[in-house]
Amino acid sequence: MRFFSQSYTYDDSWAIVTLAFFLRYPNPYAAHVISCDVISREQTPSGSLVTTRLILKKGSMPRWFPRGIVSRAESWVIEESEVDPFGKIVRCVTKNLDHVKVMQVEESVQFAQIAEGKTLQHTEARVVSKFGWGLTKKIENHGLSRFKMNMQRSREGVSLILNLLRQSRLQPMTLGAPAHAEETPMPDRERTNTDQERNKTLWSKLKTYLSSPSSSH
Amino acid sequence: MSQSLSEECTPLKKEYDSCFNSWFEGYLEPAVEAGRAGQRTREANAQKKAEEFEAKCGKIWRQYKSCVTKALKDKGLDTLLEQARQENPLVDPIPPPTSSNSNN
Repeated sequence: MRFFSQSYTYDDSWAIVTLAFFLRYPNPYAAHVISCDVISREQTPSGSLVTTRLILKKGSMPRWFPRGIVSRAESWVIEESEVDPFGKIVRCVTKNLDHVKVMQVEESVQFAQIAEGKTLQHTEARVVSKFGWGLTKKIENHGLSRFKMNMQRSREGVSLILNLLRQSRLQPMTLGAPAHAEETPMPDRERTNTDQERNKTLWSKLKTYLSSPSSSH
Repeated sequence: MSQSLSEECTPLKKEYDSCFNSWFEGYLEPAVEAGRAGQRTREANAQKKAEEFEAKCGKIWRQYKSCVTKALKDKGLDTLLEQARQENPLVDPIPPPTSSNSNN
C-alpha cells in the first residue's frame, strides 16, 4: 500500500470552490472522462447533500504491464460525496470499481472553509495492488506517480472552472442592486450583485462558456 | 456537461444537470438565504431547499434516474455497484430502483 496526502489553499470562498468542483467535468484537462452519471442523490434531514456518481474514465496501461490481462483500459469509478452547506465542508471519496486486483486507487478529498473566506483542500490517496508476480510494488509506485500527475491536472481543471465562474460573476448584471449584509467576509466583487440575481445567471453563463465548440470535450 | 453512460439518457442527464446546478448554487449559501428570510433553523432551511428542488427539478430527476437505473441493469453494472457498496460500510445502501423492470 502506498499512501499520499497533500493540502492546497484556494483564495476563493467555499461555496464557489465547491461549485467548481462539482462542475469540473467536462473540462479540457479531463478529456479522459467518457461519462459521468448521478446514480443517487439525497438530502439528509440535517440538510447535507449525499451524492453517488458513476464515472467512466479512459486509462492506459504502462508499457511494461503484461499484455492480455486487462482487456480494456477503461475503468468505472464511483464517487461518493457529502456536502454540508452549514458546516461549509465537502467530503468526497473516489475509487475504481474494476481492475481492483491489479490496482485500486482510493482518493479522499475534503474542502473546508478557513479564515479570510479561503478554502482548504485536503487530498489523501491510497494505492493498493494485489497483483503479485513480483509486480505489486512497481504497479503501486506507477499508480501513485500517475495519481500525483492527475491531481495536478484535476486542480488545473477546477481552477479553469473557477476562473470561468469568477468571470461570470464579474460581468455587470443589474446595477444598483443593494448588497446584503453577510456574516462571513467575502471579496468585494461578490457583494456587487444580489445573490438572487447571481443564482439566476452564474450557472447559465458558465453553461454558455462550456458549450462553446473549443471546450466541448 | 459530460455524456451519460447510456446514449439515450444523455439528453435527460443534460437537462437534469442544468436544473440541479442552478439549484445547487443557491443551496451552497444557506446563511445568506436564511439571513434574508429572517431566522431559520437548519432543518427548516433544508426542508425549504428540498421542496424547491422537488418543484424545479423533481420530475426531470426521476426521468433521468429511471433511465440510468435501467441502463445500469442492461449493462450489468448494478451488481458491480452493489458489491462496491457492500465493501464500504460507511456508505448508505443504494435505495431500490424506482423504475419497473421493463425489458426492451
